[in-house]
Amino acid sequence: MSSVAPEPVVDETVVDDGSAHRESIWAKTVYKLRRDRLGMVGLSVVLLYFIVAIGVWLGIWATEWGDVEGPKWAPMSAEYWFGTNIIGQDVFARAIYSTKTAFEVGLVVAVLSTIIGALLGALAGFFSGTWIDEIILWLKGVLDSIPFYLFVAAVAFALSGNPYAMHIAMVSTFWTTTGRLVRGEVIKLKNFEFVEAARAIGVPQVVIIFRHILPNTFHILLVQATIVFVAAIKSEVILSFLGLGVQDGVSWGLMIAESTQEVLAGFFNNFVWASVFLFGLVMAFNMFSDALQDALDPRKVASE
Amino acid sequence: MRNLVWSLIAVIAVGTTGCGQEQRNNGFDPNLKVYRHAMDQSPSSLDPVQASNVYANHVVLNAYDTLFAFKYLARPYEVKPNLAVDFPEISDDLLEYRIRIKEGVHYIDDPAFADGVGREVIAEDFIYSIKRHFDPKMRGQGAWLWQGRIVGLDEWKESGADYDQEIEGLRAIDRHTILIKLIRPYPQLIFTLTMGYSALVPREAVETYGLELASRPVGSGPFRVTSYDTSKIVFEKNVKFRQEPVDIWYEGYNPETQGFTGVEAIQGRSPPFLDILEIDFIAESAARWNSFTKGDEVQYTGVPNEQVDNILSSKDPITPTQEIADRYHMYAGVEAGFVFQAFNMDFPEFGYNDDPDRSRRNKLLRCAVIKGFDWSKRNESFYSGLGIVFPGIIPPVVPEFDPELSRWSVERDVEEAKRLLAEGGWTADNLPELVYGTTSSVTSRQFFEQFRGWLKKIGYPSDRIKIKQFATFGDISRAWKNSTLPFVAKGWGLDFPDAENTLQLFYGPNGSPGSNDANYRNREFDELYRKTSVMLPSPERSKLYQRMNKLVIDDCVAVSGISRTRIMLWHKNVIAFPDREIVGGFFLKYVDVEKQQPVEGEGT
Repeated sequence: MSSVAPEPVVDETVVDDGSAHRESIWAKTVYKLRRDRLGMVGLSVVLLYFIVAIGVWLGIWATEWGDVEGPKWAPMSAEYWFGTNIIGQDVFARAIYSTKTAFEVGLVVAVLSTIIGALLGALAGFFSGTWIDEIILWLKGVLDSIPFYLFVAAVAFALSGNPYAMHIAMVSTFWTTTGRLVRGEVIKLKNFEFVEAARAIGVPQVVIIFRHILPNTFHILLVQATIVFVAAIKSEVILSFLGLGVQDGVSWGLMIAESTQEVLAGFFNNFVWASVFLFGLVMAFNMFSDALQDALDPRKVASE
Repeated sequence: MRNLVWSLIAVIAVGTTGCGQEQRNNGFDPNLKVYRHAMDQSPSSLDPVQASNVYANHVVLNAYDTLFAFKYLARPYEVKPNLAVDFPEISDDLLEYRIRIKEGVHYIDDPAFADGVGREVIAEDFIYSIKRHFDPKMRGQGAWLWQGRIVGLDEWKESGADYDQEIEGLRAIDRHTILIKLIRPYPQLIFTLTMGYSALVPREAVETYGLELASRPVGSGPFRVTSYDTSKIVFEKNVKFRQEPVDIWYEGYNPETQGFTGVEAIQGRSPPFLDILEIDFIAESAARWNSFTKGDEVQYTGVPNEQVDNILSSKDPITPTQEIADRYHMYAGVEAGFVFQAFNMDFPEFGYNDDPDRSRRNKLLRCAVIKGFDWSKRNESFYSGLGIVFPGIIPPVVPEFDPELSRWSVERDVEEAKRLLAEGGWTADNLPELVYGTTSSVTSRQFFEQFRGWLKKIGYPSDRIKIKQFATFGDISRAWKNSTLPFVAKGWGLDFPDAENTLQLFYGPNGSPGSNDANYRNREFDELYRKTSVMLPSPERSKLYQRMNKLVIDDCVAVSGISRTRIMLWHKNVIAFPDREIVGGFFLKYVDVEKQQPVEGEGT
């Protein structure tokens, strides 16, 4: 057993002199991921949801989610697979349509908060101990100290019914964890030889940060993005349930909110199906996220 | 050791018994009579000048006094003197009212008064209280009731609202006599003096507490407030409240329809009968229902829509299941009000437009929306099919209601709606964007989705019908008042049983920020309104009211309407005949609770 040096994980191909075949970290990751059965099941389910969301987005299915011609609280039947709600809307169509809502929110929030977290985390890490780091840390501290749902309510109020208030609030708070992780990684990376070498030959700081260091945090960003994606979907459901989330459209959270009145009357279609769809996606994404985390863990990858 | 064990057992037994009694009396002293009422919203303010909704009115009427009130049990509703000694003496030309108030009535003790002792209520307090509505600093919301009606009152406002300046038409002749001089006859005046807006407020309290009066009432009503927050208000009996034995026959008692309530038990006794009155504000219907059925919390609830089928064995006639009948008292009645929608005619996309052709097309568009609206399904979805759908803006509860009126405006006809759109040259490409305001509640949202779904069916693209959410009812009310929404969807509870109270919602001069949120302006309607506003109830006035109603229908201004049937339940140990309509807050002082009534947890 030999100790493993904490080497940069991406630039291996750069230092590869071609004299010997060395498998890239991404190839190793894919290899390891494919061997993780739970992870692959999770990925398959996520892809299935994604296809459903794309279908909704293209108008292939669930186009009738807003129609109100059905009977009130119809039970499950061949015509209405998941029954109908109080105004005769097809619960199946609404549950399917909500998949698109979930992916929209998840993707927007995950991508934006990851980008912001990466940028600010990289800056804070590279300039650690300076006023730049102080300001970014202070900002993170302030945002983290505000209760999330209170913050969203405040943002929603301040933006006066803006349909993106929920997205803005989530991005504003979700980037901080990513930023903190990236900062730590960058503090470690900036003392590596390849960074010192870049400095020595006069590479500008901006280029060092964004071309040489940040790409080496990609494994963190990828895992973090999947975690934020799930968190955003769950938050959307909670916020919509509270009336602070989706305004025009439908989501599983809104369906569950509708169900609060229905369950007392003995109708569970909205509650059951929205919960099942939400559970399926969140569970699958968590399984995939865990597998990805394991596969991208530098120590585990390197030790393979 | 043995003694110690027995002592412990005794302590536990006493403690448990005590807790049980405490629990059975809603957490209050078991020797007190406590009634816990429930409302679905909290009041916007406890200050009479801002008692603009049914919730505020309920509370204000229990803390303050009004000159007149509605009889507790009489249906149809009837007015009676309250703080006034008798009905007003009215001059022959119907322009001068003399009202004498009772002597020896005192405000509650409060630090605002000299030595903290409540002084006597005098006529000048009424003058001061009405003036407050016209004082711009007070931001009063009830001025519309008396605007342009009382000699010199509007001028008083214009000249700077100096409270020491006398008004010719609003004076205290002596310590206990009020003189009101009207510009023109105002048959509804006495009704306005039953409303929380007209409650008597002592000047000392306003000057001492200022804005704090919104949460700290100082009145002469049957109760005094001991605590108030957004979840509940707690009153205790006003021990100084005047002793006036109840005559239930005078109050309109009908043994056939009201005998089950047990109100005969209050005959000859002086209200208030409760030591503690607590009103819980529970917006979520599920939470309110659970609290009610739990048995040891709120003792009254309106039945939520989703429970109607569970608690009724028949909808026609409305009959409770045996289980409900065994556990609770129930009363069902049509509300004194209605739910409707209206276009904001100030929006040129839908209402008045400088281009006559566009105005014509806009009317066809509005008519098409009306024909696309399915009142029958709205009734079935949200009102358990128990509401009464009616055309126009005169609801069934008022005597001027015309049951023979054509139902064209409340019967859905998709093909006719499409034809109207085509006649107006409207296509999916040129229909204007319609912004529909809602609060963030589930039901509001479902109203919107149902509306959008129906319009989609007549060819109005769903992406042209946008939702705009507001955090609270107050926020959306402000948007209506500021005329920032093209479409208004609201309910209106009558302040008094006269169609004038709904017709004024479409009277031109009442446009935004007044009560005419539709900003409807029709010369004939306005002339008829002015003409009828000085008329006493008569067949001729009813005919003119009905003509005004028809004008609103023909102009396709309002998608209207439905009067909901309210089903109320209350615990069997509560002696009451509840009403959240016109009698509103007045009934609470007559509520009594049978003591020693065992109340056990009883979930349904």
